[in-house]
Amino acid sequence: MIKYVLEESGEDMRIDEHPILTFAKDKKIRFTFNGKEMFGYLGDTIAAALVDNGIMEFSKSVIHERPRGFYCAIGNCGSCNMTVNGVENVKTCLTLLEENMVVENELSEVIIND
Amino acid sequence: MTKASIVIIGAGISGVSTAYNLAKAGMKDIHVVDKGYFTNGSTGRCGAGVRQQWATKLNCILAKKSIEFFGRANGELKYHKDIEFKQEGYLILATTKEEDEQFTKNVKLQNSIGIPSEKLTVEEALKIVPHLNKNSFISATFCKTDGHVNPFLMTEAYYLAAKRLGVEFHFFEEVKEIVVGGNKIKKVITEKEEYLTDKVLNAAGGYAKEIGLMAGVEIPVFSENHEILVTERAKAMQGPMVMSFSKNIYCQQVPHGSFLMGRSNPDAVPSHDISSSWQFLDEMALTVKDILPEVAKLRVIRTWGGSYNVSPDRQPIISDTKELNGFYMACGFSGHGFMFAPITGELLTKIILKQELDEYAHDLHIDRFKENIITDYEHSVV
Repeated sequence: MIKYVLEESGEDMRIDEHPILTFAKDKKIRFTFNGKEMFGYLGDTIAAALVDNGIMEFSKSVIHERPRGFYCAIGNCGSCNMTVNGVENVKTCLTLLEENMVVENELSEVIIND
Repeated sequence: MTKASIVIIGAGISGVSTAYNLAKAGMKDIHVVDKGYFTNGSTGRCGAGVRQQWATKLNCILAKKSIEFFGRANGELKYHKDIEFKQEGYLILATTKEEDEQFTKNVKLQNSIGIPSEKLTVEEALKIVPHLNKNSFISATFCKTDGHVNPFLMTEAYYLAAKRLGVEFHFFEEVKEIVVGGNKIKKVITEKEEYLTDKVLNAAGGYAKEIGLMAGVEIPVFSENHEILVTERAKAMQGPMVMSFSKNIYCQQVPHGSFLMGRSNPDAVPSHDISSSWQFLDEMALTVKDILPEVAKLRVIRTWGGSYNVSPDRQPIISDTKELNGFYMACGFSGHGFMFAPITGELLTKIILKQELDEYAHDLHIDRFKENIITDYEHSVV
């Protein structure tokens, strides 16, 4: 797993300063991604929290298994679909993070005949 | 002007299968023309299921021979990919007493020609598809050698094999006229070319009737829109196609994880309409929720429609005609042209090359409708 950080400052991917919007970091929330413990903030979508934790690979393409990242962010493309608390195909870009959520993006059980 | 031994109208599965078989038998100068892109018609719109559980002997034979071919298709056609032939069966649900009794007869017929189908209780069916709603049916039949083939890949496999044998394909080229003189075919004129030929195969799918009329041949078929949908991918959870005639549904998970499902519209009128309707989605959702509640949780990715080319007895017409020498047809498959394509190509090759036909194949002749011969009517259709 690659951790993406801003090269110069070494900071994570979260936007702290924005010309118009403000982002409150009220409450820190614990969740797991593929079994690994991570933290996000109340009000984050699952996808936003994952990006903040350096997760860029959200799913894999069907035939060639190429990595698919955070793409449309509005629930259309399916690129960010993951299994959340055991429920498949959850659109993580539209779903708010909750305390102790179990997030997984393993699709290995799908049989792919390539 | 191009000289052709035969012009095949339609590059769908029936056209490419016949082109391949003719070329394999040694015919040269075979030209296949299609008015659209590769698999634009019913082939590329179909439900991708292949089954042998039929109510008429004729359909059982056609299906069994075709399934045998799917098993050896990759090798015989030297296909560099895989046609995705998945044999995890068809589970057909009986929901009424009449259907249950009919299915007992069907299984007996199927077994008599070597199709390994069996009658199952509700409990036995639940072992094969555990997420079935046990209250939605009273018995079932199952044939483990039925299954799925990818229509795009199967058609491409035939197409590439035919091309290697010298068959020429012409896409985006619509047939405008079939010139006939003295009970013989003279020419096929398309929007781009004139083909000098004395043989035409009508494999035009939804447009088979119109192509027949172009040559002055009445074919008693009509086209009807059948809608279908595909869901988002899910983990492998359902091996067999689940089908019910009385509940009007077929539903299968394809190898890459999506579910394909369709139903017929009882109020459909003959037309070339292939549009989608909200009514289809509405009814489909209710039916899936009833029979396969787990599957109903998936989201729909898209819907589309395609033409069933329907014959009076819901069995195909694979035939020449006394009315016009050199005119052949593969139509009226009533929704099952894809799964019967291997045998369609083999039979038409024998008909066109005037080789001896197996006895059963004579029953596929168009004259069965003219002479008022009583044929079996296929009820096992969605």
